[in-house]
Amino acid sequence: MINDPESELHPQRLIEENKKREDKFNFVKAVLLDIFFVFYSILVIQRAIYYRFFLDLRELPFSWSEIFILFAVSVVIGFAWASTKTSLSCKLFGIAKDNKTTKWTVEIFGWFLFDITLIAGWIVTKISIVGLFSSEGLQGAQRIFSALFQPNFGIFDDALFAMIETIYIALVATLISIPPTLFISFFAARNLMKENKFTFFIYYTIRIILNFVRSIEPLIWAIIFSVWVGIGPFAGMIALLVHTIAGNAKLYSEAIESIELGPVEAITATGANKVQVVWHAVVPQIVLPFLSFTIYRWDINVRMATIIGLVGGGGIGTMLMQYQGLARWHEVGLIVLMIAFVVWVMDYISAKIREAIY
Amino acid sequence: MILKVQNLHKIYDNGTHALKGVSFEVKEGEFLVIIGLSGSGKSTLLRCINRLIEPTSGSVYFLDKDITHIKGEELRKAKRQIGMVFQQFNLIKRRSVLSNVINGKLGSLGTMESIFERYSDHVYEEAYKSLEQVGITDKAKIRADSLSGGQQQRVAIARSLMQNPKLLLADEPVASLDPATSNSVMQYFEKINKEIGTTVICNLHFLSLVRRYASRVIALKDGEIVYQGLPSDIDEAWFKTIYGEEAEEVEIR
Repeated sequence: MINDPESELHPQRLIEENKKREDKFNFVKAVLLDIFFVFYSILVIQRAIYYRFFLDLRELPFSWSEIFILFAVSVVIGFAWASTKTSLSCKLFGIAKDNKTTKWTVEIFGWFLFDITLIAGWIVTKISIVGLFSSEGLQGAQRIFSALFQPNFGIFDDALFAMIETIYIALVATLISIPPTLFISFFAARNLMKENKFTFFIYYTIRIILNFVRSIEPLIWAIIFSVWVGIGPFAGMIALLVHTIAGNAKLYSEAIESIELGPVEAITATGANKVQVVWHAVVPQIVLPFLSFTIYRWDINVRMATIIGLVGGGGIGTMLMQYQGLARWHEVGLIVLMIAFVVWVMDYISAKIREAIY
Repeated sequence: MILKVQNLHKIYDNGTHALKGVSFEVKEGEFLVIIGLSGSGKSTLLRCINRLIEPTSGSVYFLDKDITHIKGEELRKAKRQIGMVFQQFNLIKRRSVLSNVINGKLGSLGTMESIFERYSDHVYEEAYKSLEQVGITDKAKIRADSLSGGQQQRVAIARSLMQNPKLLLADEPVASLDPATSNSVMQYFEKINKEIGTTVICNLHFLSLVRRYASRVIALKDGEIVYQGLPSDIDEAWFKTIYGEEAEEVEIR
């Protein structure tokens, strides 16, 4: 039955049908992307280049109906354009006709998109050469720099104490993160979880949660926790902990996904159960990458802990914030110097340790 | 009859039809060699026998028991009696030779026991005995990846011996070794087959090795058996049917 070319199970037919389905799907994607390209171009030209630059408006006029009309126009143009099978998106999804028109559209429109993005970027970020080199501005810079380079060592004890607090915040956050991260990472590894729908569902849910938690910066977590548990090192530590778990679980699970499958196959073939396969074939392959990620993360966390201090996460960052608020630049100079030194040392140590274990 | 394979089909998810109705039987004590080009379905066939790959249809009888659809503990019990050796050795590189060999015993050890690696003296004794069979007791304590290819394959054989297998599957065990080492590794398979009486099913590429070690040969081509018989009966004509018109036999000693 399977060898019959007319049968639906025949491999050749399966492959052909797959291709047709894929092409249809790619066309839908191309239409959507073309609509986006057209809509983007219209908006950028109208709002950034025309309103902001040529009319030099401070406040841009905004109405939903106008946006809607522009969008409707883009939909029509985008759809028509993709239907010709010569658009940029058709090329990107590999369904474009192979002719001169395609070649020229891709080249011209590609550069057009790049150029208007660059121009709009220039306008939006308000790049100003004059501002950078005005004499008033330069004087201010000189004032701050001269103060920074004459640090006040009178507050050295306090700064040192705050610095130690920061290093401990990072260390504790990293250490506590290890067990939960380990546990979670196995459930976030596709190759271990793809076996049935239930485990795949768990994998998917965990991935979504991890991505969500990770996309929120530690700074924001610190703000949340400083309200939750009160301003201080504890809030900073929990903020780092949460972000470290989410960040490292992803790295760990990717290490699990990239293991060699041979040993897994070999251990499975001996009749070992699932736990034994993971422990004896997966774990030995990931111990060193895990160690390396964790040490690197401690290094990152020391840097983050200083920043988190700025919003009330304790340690040297909080101190920096206080002196900056009082415009006491000599004290700020000392703190910046200490942060730079500690970050450099941490970077060096973590690199050395990671080199040694590999 | 130690193994009976009946009308086995395997179609992969990408549509590849790797096995197209393969049937054969293996008697106890045989040294069966499966030959065929790369992609002829040899590896798939071996992996369907010990269920590393699930066959699409057909059945596999091991010791007169249908093992095609068994699951869980019952499946692990069957796997325990079937050893397997791979082309890429598949050892745990960073672990010692000894712990790699003990891994072969995992199927009959408790989960907790194996996680904390508190094995009884009996297990260690057995591991050393297996290593002795392949002649590398002196390397027991060193890391597996510091051994040469041939030595690693011997460790892999020792690992499978830990299972006391009734049947030993070998998937191109010498394909990544040099000719001299190939021969010495094949001699260990021969020794296990002759002295312990373990049935061996082995995928091979080189006909000279086939003639020397096989007691019976099956040739696969595009997922179908095209030849079954004695190695000495493979003549020029058969060789060309199996390997294609342009093929020429290369000697390896």
